[in-house]
Order: sequence, then structure tokens, then C-alpha cells
Amino acid sequence: MKKFLAPVLAFCLLAGMASAGQSIRFVASVSPVADAIRALLPDFEKETGITVEMEQLGNEQLSQKLTVEFASGGSGIDVFMIRPLDEARMLKRNGWAVDLSKWLKDDADYDFADYSEGSIQCTSVDGFQTSIPLINECQVIYYRKDVFEKAGVQPPKTFEELEKVAAAVTDKSNERYGFVSRGARNALITQFSSYLYGFGGDFSKDGQALMDTPEAHAAIDYYGRMLRLYGPEGVHNMSWPQAAAIFQQGKGAMYIDASSQYPSMLDPTKSSVADVTGVAMFPAGPTAHAVYDITAWAIGIYSNSQNQDAAWQFVRYMTDKDRTLILQGEYANQCARMSIYNSPEGIKKLPADWVKAVSETGPIGVGHDRPQLTAVAQARDILSEPVTLSIDGKDFKGAAARANQRFQELLDREK
Amino acid sequence: MSTAPLPQQERSSRTGRKLMSALYYLTIIVCMFFFLLPLLWMLLNALKTPLQIVQLPPKLIFEPTLDNFRNVFNQQNFLRYIWNSLVIAAGSTVLGLVLGLPAAFSIARYKQKKLAVFILISRMVPGITFLLPLFIMFRTFSMVDTYTSLILAHLLVGLPFIVWVMVPFFESIPNDLMEAARVDGCSIFATFIKIILPISLPGVVTGGILSFIFSWNNFMFSVVLASNRTKTVPVAIFNFISYAQIDWGGLMAAAVVITLPVLVITIVTQKYVIRGLTAGAVKG
Repeated sequence: MKKFLAPVLAFCLLAGMASAGQSIRFVASVSPVADAIRALLPDFEKETGITVEMEQLGNEQLSQKLTVEFASGGSGIDVFMIRPLDEARMLKRNGWAVDLSKWLKDDADYDFADYSEGSIQCTSVDGFQTSIPLINECQVIYYRKDVFEKAGVQPPKTFEELEKVAAAVTDKSNERYGFVSRGARNALITQFSSYLYGFGGDFSKDGQALMDTPEAHAAIDYYGRMLRLYGPEGVHNMSWPQAAAIFQQGKGAMYIDASSQYPSMLDPTKSSVADVTGVAMFPAGPTAHAVYDITAWAIGIYSNSQNQDAAWQFVRYMTDKDRTLILQGEYANQCARMSIYNSPEGIKKLPADWVKAVSETGPIGVGHDRPQLTAVAQARDILSEPVTLSIDGKDFKGAAARANQRFQELLDREK
Repeated sequence: MSTAPLPQQERSSRTGRKLMSALYYLTIIVCMFFFLLPLLWMLLNALKTPLQIVQLPPKLIFEPTLDNFRNVFNQQNFLRYIWNSLVIAAGSTVLGLVLGLPAAFSIARYKQKKLAVFILISRMVPGITFLLPLFIMFRTFSMVDTYTSLILAHLLVGLPFIVWVMVPFFESIPNDLMEAARVDGCSIFATFIKIILPISLPGVVTGGILSFIFSWNNFMFSVVLASNRTKTVPVAIFNFISYAQIDWGGLMAAAVVITLPVLVITIVTQKYVIRGLTAGAVKG
């Protein structure tokens, strides 16, 4: 027993010492927003006397590391970054995240209500605030201004117009594709989601799978038809890097994907058509104008952290209005505080048409772009199937019914 | 009349041989093409700008840039990651040899087959099984993010391999040799150091090199057990895949930098490795 106690005591002592020195450990992703936070660290350390040990890892590695460290029951991590739509539910279910509401509710200065509706939906699970939104993204249209001008068309405002415009600017014999978007299984689900909402559907509601409804059928049919008739060859293998490359090579007239990709779309060293690329808002569907507007990265606190107050001080500092203004204004990240979009300081480094598209999407944003459950990846695979068939022009109704049933089973398992 | 068919037969056998050798080289070229294409692709893209990389059809003749390599060493501090990988791979290999060689000798000499199987099990069990226990242990002793913890973890990868390469090697050494040494007054330990090891050098080199490469390429243990101070190259390469942006050029340049040491080591020691792997394969 003594043998066992000694190291445990030593560990507790060490942990105790660490908190006395006010040092926190922050595990972040490799992303522009994390780079910007790193640049702000010296200010924070000087102001508070808390030292921050920061580490950056790629998406999958970060997930893996958090899972192993948290599962071991006593990680030294205090603050972490997550992709809330993939991980927030799991964090809450396993009791790994602190409910941040306790700090938020009495903090008028911090003004949590300033965050966009979609971003709050994204980061909270049944009223449990798992994390604070850092970076948002919504669906937008990247289009070729020169091609549009030549064809005499304007960026589409409705799905109907979208199809007409796509038809007008597609010229397959000259390798010009009017509608470039994701066609790869699993990856396509997020970009398909806004069409689903536009036709009045959703993946599920109150634990009920909705992928075999007339609304879902209409969306599957529409998205598949658009990619089949106006999309590039080999679209089944295209996630965003491949689809973006088609547009960057100058072979796409419209590329519809996340707003977060604007740096590579509008940078002349990365895209051969950067100077003639415009950004427009995602069009309205026949039933609703609803576009996904989600939090891609959020920041949270580990429930077993010994330094929770220092950790909250850090999270609050990096996400308050002043810092958000810097994160967005100086480092050109798409943040989720709506007040920043009204300040000239906050949008000075961002392209004007992009700001317009993004800030107009805010109020009609839907806080998810994928099925909402813990087994997200599995559900995405299942629901891709009817869409894939539709892209090929095959009958997808049977597949939709089957996918819906399997999706329902997944949902039931998590009840 | 009887001599007529002969030259024809000879001729046909000669063309047959030519055909065979042509086919032989053709097969080699086709195989090499498929094996080397990804490497060539990696090298070409490492020398391209982002715009050139996404060009279709890809250009084979272009103005090369060294920007990607500059990025790898200046912005990403890859020298540090390479040093970490070197220390950990060399450390775990040396420790693996120090522990594994005597173990293999003992298994071969005293026929401890069960022990050998037991060691093999640790290689058969997926590494991820060890991850959580290792993490808990190292955390308890405040050893996370130290070279020691990573060297110990990588032993799991290298040690069983070294033992299993060396056992057939030691078995193939005739007992007479050891008895002769014994008669001359050599202790078992001295026999092992002075006689057995020198003649098993090809095996030792093989085990060492492969254990080094396995450790160099190991990703999983490093993700969880390493942090800022000890991050290794396979983990660091993911720094080029950022949120909504992939720096293909930097990624390819880093891949070239990571592959190079392993490639050089393999080419230099190839002779030993093949001898080491096939030794003991045929026993009389």
C-alpha cells in the first residue's frame, strides 16, 4: 500500500505546486486562430501573471490526444480546443468538460449573448455550455466575376436561379464547370445540409430521423442533379481540397463551400483566378432561406483541471470583445461575436463581399451542418449513400429509406 | 538433313532468351514505375509553388522553388523535430539491442520457446492497447514529454523485433563453436561477447536498422506521450495541414526531409539487411 501511495502523493504534491505557480496547459489545433492566440499569449501572461504552456496539434491528433489523456482520468490539460459538432456531445457525455454557464450568466461585460445564434447552438448541448466559440464558418458561393459578366448573369438568390446560372456558365467541352462542390461520401454531408434546410428538411428532429421525407428527397434530388449536370468529372472523389483545386485552376465558375476557405480562394499565390473571384451569399430554397453557420473551433476547460479559475481567466481573456476584435480585425479570422461585424476595425482586413455574405448569413444561420449525435462519422457515411446514388442519376428512394432506418437506429442507441 | 533443325532451334532459343530478358527488364521497369512514382511526385511537388501544385495537367518542367524547404526549416523548426526523432530512435534501438541480444541468445541456447512466444505477443497486440496504461504510468512519474518515456514506449516496437530476428541467427551457430570456447576457458558471457556477437553482425545490423526505422516512423506513441519538448517528425508533419488550408508544398518538402535519412540508411546497409532477414531461413 505504501509503495502505491508514494508516487501518488508525489504526483499530488507536484500538481499542487503547479497550481501555486499559476501555470496552465493549453492544447490547441493547428489553425490560424490558434496562431493568433499564441501571438496574444505574452500580453495575457503580463497582465495576469499566469503562464501558459501551449501546444498545437493537427485535427485528428488533437482528438486522439484529448481522448487518451481525458480517459486516463487525470490529464494535465487545463484548456483545450475542440470541433464542437464532432466532439461536444462526447465531452459532455463523458463528463470531461466544465459547464461554462456558471461563469457566463453574471458576466454582463463579457456579453455572451453577442455570440451568433448558430454558434451558441453549436457549442451547447441541452443547456450545457461545453465551450466558447472561436471560429465560425458558413456556406457561401465563390464565383468567377469575369465568367458571370460574360454570360450576363448575377449571383443566384434562389435554388431555381442557382440551377439556371449553373447551366448558363457550364461549358463541359471547354472544361468549365458551373457547379463545383463536394461529391465524396461523408465529406459531402456538410455542404448538402443547407440544401436540405432550404427545402424545409433537416437530418433529424427530437430524435426522429427525417431523411426519408419529401423534403429530404427533394434536396437529395437537387444536389445530385446539380453535380451530375454541371459538376466536374470524378466528383465522387472530391472533398474540399480537390474541389477547391478545380476552382483554383480556373475550371469552375461557381464553387460552393465553407466561408473559411476564402484565404486560399482570394490569394493570387494560391489561386490562378483570385483577382476575378467574388463571394456571394448562399441562395434561398423554395421553403426556407436557412444556411449552416457553425462553429468550427471552440475553446473549453477540462473538468479535472486543478486550475479552473485561471483557465477561465484565460478563456475569457482570449474571447472577450477586445481580443475578438484583434483575432478578427488583425488576424482575419471569422469570429462568432456579431458586434465585431459592425465595427470598421473588425472587418478591415477582410474582403467586403465576403463580409457582406457572412454577416447576412448570421441571422438565418442554422447551428449544425451534420447530423447531431455522438456517432457523427458513422451517420455521415450512412446518409451519404442516397446522395451518391442521386449524383449518378440512379433511383435513390429505396436507399434513402434504408439510410433513414439505419440512422434512426443510431439515434435510438444514444437515447 | 539431320543438322538443319539444330541452328533453327538454337536461334529460337536465343530469341527466347532475349525475349525473357526483355520481359524481365520490362517487369522491373513497370514495378519500379509504380513504386517510385509517389516518391517522384513527392519530390516534384516539394519544389513547386502552391499554384503550380494544383495545375492540371501537372507540369513536369517548371521553375523550381526552395521556398517549401525554407518553410520546413525556418518556420517549422524541423531540425528540432528531427533531433528528437533521432534521439528517440537511436535510444530505443541501442536499449533494444542491449536487452534483446542476450535475451535472444538465451532463448536460442536454452530453447525457451514459450518465452519467445510471450515476447511475440507484445508485438501482435495492437500498440494502442498499451497507450493508455503507458500514459497513466508516465504521468504518475511525471515523465510525459521526456525522451525516456518515448524511448521506453518505442522499445515495445523494436525489442520484440530484434529478439525474433536474432533467435534463428543464434540457433544457426553450431554448438561446437561454443563448446570449443568453453574448453578454452571462456565464460558464457565472454563467449557471447567475443565470439557469438561478431559472427552475428549481419543480424545485429538488420535488427538495429529495422528497429530504428520502426521507431522513426512511429506515430501513435509520439502523439500522446510527446509534447512541445519531444515532438517527433511523423507528428510534426501534420503542422502543414491547418484548418481549411493544406500547405501541400510544405507537406511534401517535409516528407522528403523525413524520408531522406531512412532512405540513405537503407541503401547503405541493404546488403546486411537482406542477409540478416534470410539467415536461418533454411536450416539443415
